[in-house]
Amino acid sequence: MAQSDTLLSMEEVVVTATRQERRLGNVTIPVNLIQRKQILQAGSLRLRDILQEQPGIQLTSNFGTGIQMQGLNPEHTLILIDGQPLVGRTSGVLDVSRIALAGIKRIEVVKGPSSSLYGSEAMAGVINLITENPTQPLLGASLRYGVADPDQGWGIPFKRNSFQQTEADLQATYFIGKLKVRHSNNLLFADGVSFRPFSQDRIPRPIHRITHQTSIQQNLGNRAEFKLLARYNQDRFQQEFSVRNNGITIDSYGRELNNELNIQPTLFIRLSEKIRLYTRVYLTSYNGDQKLRFVQKPDSSYLDRFEQRLFRIEEQVDIKKNNYTVTAGVGFQLEQANSTRYDALANQKQNNVSYVFAQWELNAGEKWISILGARYDHHALFAGALTPKWSLRYQAKPNLLFTASIGQGFKAPDFRQLYLNFTNNAAGGYSVYGTQDAIRVINELNRLGQIAELKPDFTKLTSLRPEHSTGINASMQYNPTPAITSQLSVFRNDIQSLIDVRQVATRTDGSQLFSYLNVNRAFTQGLETSLQWQVHKNWSINSGYQLLITGDKEEWEEIRQGKEYVRELNGSSRVMNKKDYVGLPNRSKHQGQLKIKYEDTKDRYVFMRLLYRSRWTVANSNGNGVHDIQDEYANGFVQLHITGGFPINNIISLQAGIDNLLNYQDIFYLPNLTGRTAFITIRAKFEPKQTKRINNP
Amino acid sequence: MVVLLSITSCEKDKLPKTVDQRAYAIETIGKITTVKNLPADTIIGTNSTGQPIGAGRYSFFSLETGQWISNADSSSTRWDLAFAGTTIRINNATSGPGAGGAFVFSGAFESLLSVPTDSVFRVDSHPVSYAITRGSGRAWYTYDGPTNLLTPIPGRTLVIRTATGKVAKVEILNYYRGGQTPSATAPDSIKTRDQRFLHFRYTYQGNGTRQF
Repeated sequence: MAQSDTLLSMEEVVVTATRQERRLGNVTIPVNLIQRKQILQAGSLRLRDILQEQPGIQLTSNFGTGIQMQGLNPEHTLILIDGQPLVGRTSGVLDVSRIALAGIKRIEVVKGPSSSLYGSEAMAGVINLITENPTQPLLGASLRYGVADPDQGWGIPFKRNSFQQTEADLQATYFIGKLKVRHSNNLLFADGVSFRPFSQDRIPRPIHRITHQTSIQQNLGNRAEFKLLARYNQDRFQQEFSVRNNGITIDSYGRELNNELNIQPTLFIRLSEKIRLYTRVYLTSYNGDQKLRFVQKPDSSYLDRFEQRLFRIEEQVDIKKNNYTVTAGVGFQLEQANSTRYDALANQKQNNVSYVFAQWELNAGEKWISILGARYDHHALFAGALTPKWSLRYQAKPNLLFTASIGQGFKAPDFRQLYLNFTNNAAGGYSVYGTQDAIRVINELNRLGQIAELKPDFTKLTSLRPEHSTGINASMQYNPTPAITSQLSVFRNDIQSLIDVRQVATRTDGSQLFSYLNVNRAFTQGLETSLQWQVHKNWSINSGYQLLITGDKEEWEEIRQGKEYVRELNGSSRVMNKKDYVGLPNRSKHQGQLKIKYEDTKDRYVFMRLLYRSRWTVANSNGNGVHDIQDEYANGFVQLHITGGFPINNIISLQAGIDNLLNYQDIFYLPNLTGRTAFITIRAKFEPKQTKRINNP
Repeated sequence: MVVLLSITSCEKDKLPKTVDQRAYAIETIGKITTVKNLPADTIIGTNSTGQPIGAGRYSFFSLETGQWISNADSSSTRWDLAFAGTTIRINNATSGPGAGGAFVFSGAFESLLSVPTDSVFRVDSHPVSYAITRGSGRAWYTYDGPTNLLTPIPGRTLVIRTATGKVAKVEILNYYRGGQTPSATAPDSIKTRDQRFLHFRYTYQGNGTRQF
């Protein structure tokens, strides 16, 4: 059950679906597998580059580049590196342009709730980045230079206003006795460029990014293995710009510095042929630091600091019997955060989570596999969450396969929703308080006579509960000939107790006070299709399409009852019809891609990707607070990317490409999409001949 | 106002035959009168912190006669509604000598066929509160900070008791010159220049009953 650019052997191994290595042809839920070769051939630098070309994934552009899967918000997709979660989200968004792909062997995408294995945030699904193992000694380097020019359409290298991007990559694997070591280093330098009229603020911003990754592997006899992954990432954005607003010029100096560290030791023990033990420890920290200084008004400059740390220890056991496999685990997690946006930077916030999970996989005959699993997360700060999942696989014929699953997902409230203490004096004055502070702060303000009005929602303020979803996925794969794989999937997610910001009080000066409540219920549903066709020994076609329908259940109910209104062309109101409703904002109804690849036996290739996304709502322009066909949309678009490459000799290969060949730009709603970008990459890879092969069993 | 009107008519001199969509106009079809581009304290500049401001002048309007009333008559019962930005005042209490009052009916303009007998008309208590409550998402409009746009809420009807004690129903249609809300991506200069031009429609019942 795989969707990939070339027909994959069902013997490919994936881990995300079951938390243990499984043949791709044997998993009960579809896994979208993106391999190193595809990443390289697409010329992708960062996770966002390759994800935007995948079926059923949409990118969002608020608070960095987020991932929207099955129509759920970015905060509902869990992003893992070797099975452990990345932290450092802004307003729930983990910026996928932050993640360099150097040293990543493959990416596994699992859609549908996966909390039964991975816990919080795995509501829409899981994206798992699997790092390269130090399998054989090698030395590799690559250098890429790209250039775009938003004004002229074609970038001119080294010109002042062109957008230039340079990336350098250095990889080394070596053995010291039985110790295997792999280093990956990635450096990225990019200019900012000012696309926006009325502003010199450069988006994308000028960036210096450095990523270092070290993997260490040591065999401890025949039955045990130790692995360590250490990863460090630093982003530095720096720019000076002037903004003119109503005739007043403000010169600003902005700087952002983000540091991320992941350390992940794993001990694997094979107790017997049938029992395997994994001990995993995970330490990660993310520090974000933003400074903005106004030259004319130094007193309104600000510093924003956010620090997050996560420590986890986990034990997993796999027991294989003749026709069933049991996987079980237990873990403890400690999470801490400090922020200038909480009551005080010095006050550390903390949450403890203990969890257990178990999964029972039954092979009933040749044709059926059933996996039943559940996980319980106990939170120190709020209610626990039990998330079961059942998935089923039926191989009707050698070329016809059905899978279905029903599962629950959850997302625990994050620190922001619990502890935010933020007042914006600029935009008319409003404050947002996390639920832990809201009642105390507002009661205190009330005692001081500073509250004009308590809203009905104030009385509903209690401890936040986790958000919950139930997801149903069903899928069919049919291979009419060995050269064609087609797939059709349908999905439906019902989400309860979504957390939303609501006004809870008004101060006597008229400013509004907000906090977080479990209020919304929503649904997303749709279908996804894909087709892979090896047309000729050198030519392959891969296409994908997603239809997405979403809605807020309360809004839907109001519309059914005729309580929502829209406007006629002449401005007068009329009752809203069901067909006027477009559901949740920022979602495209249609999305698809067509990829055509030529590749010969000498590793020469041309890879063309055509991406389509239909329009999506961006602003409520008729004042009803509900998204409908009268609202403002971002335009749908088609993007075309082409790359090609060939090896010069055994060591050096060349690649050239043009991203966004059609030069599609939307300065307001796709601010990070640079215009047509031409690039060239040179790669060198040196693998010393191994005198003795190390594949004795 | 005279200056503004002459500017808009100059712009449209090249197209003399068409109706100027950006000028103050009033039109009655059957029971419904539609008012377009009524300036409501339009923006004249910025204050010391760069915020756009108007001159602080109300535009007075009579629902009874369908006329834009001179500011000289502000302390008479000749007007029923006074507009400045998002503030709408009624002719009573702290705002005027009349018998005015107002409340907000949630529902379409056409669906309000009579004023229920148990309706409570509110009056202004300037500058603390108003019969037609100010603020985003309250009486008749929402303001969106990120796009800096103000939009009347569809399905909100203002029920007005006039200065002389008659009833009328009013629906605010738009807040921008020309009757078109600027695009979210329009520059702030356009959003500032074109705002505070009210468009509304109303039905006035002069026979003393509460039926429309």
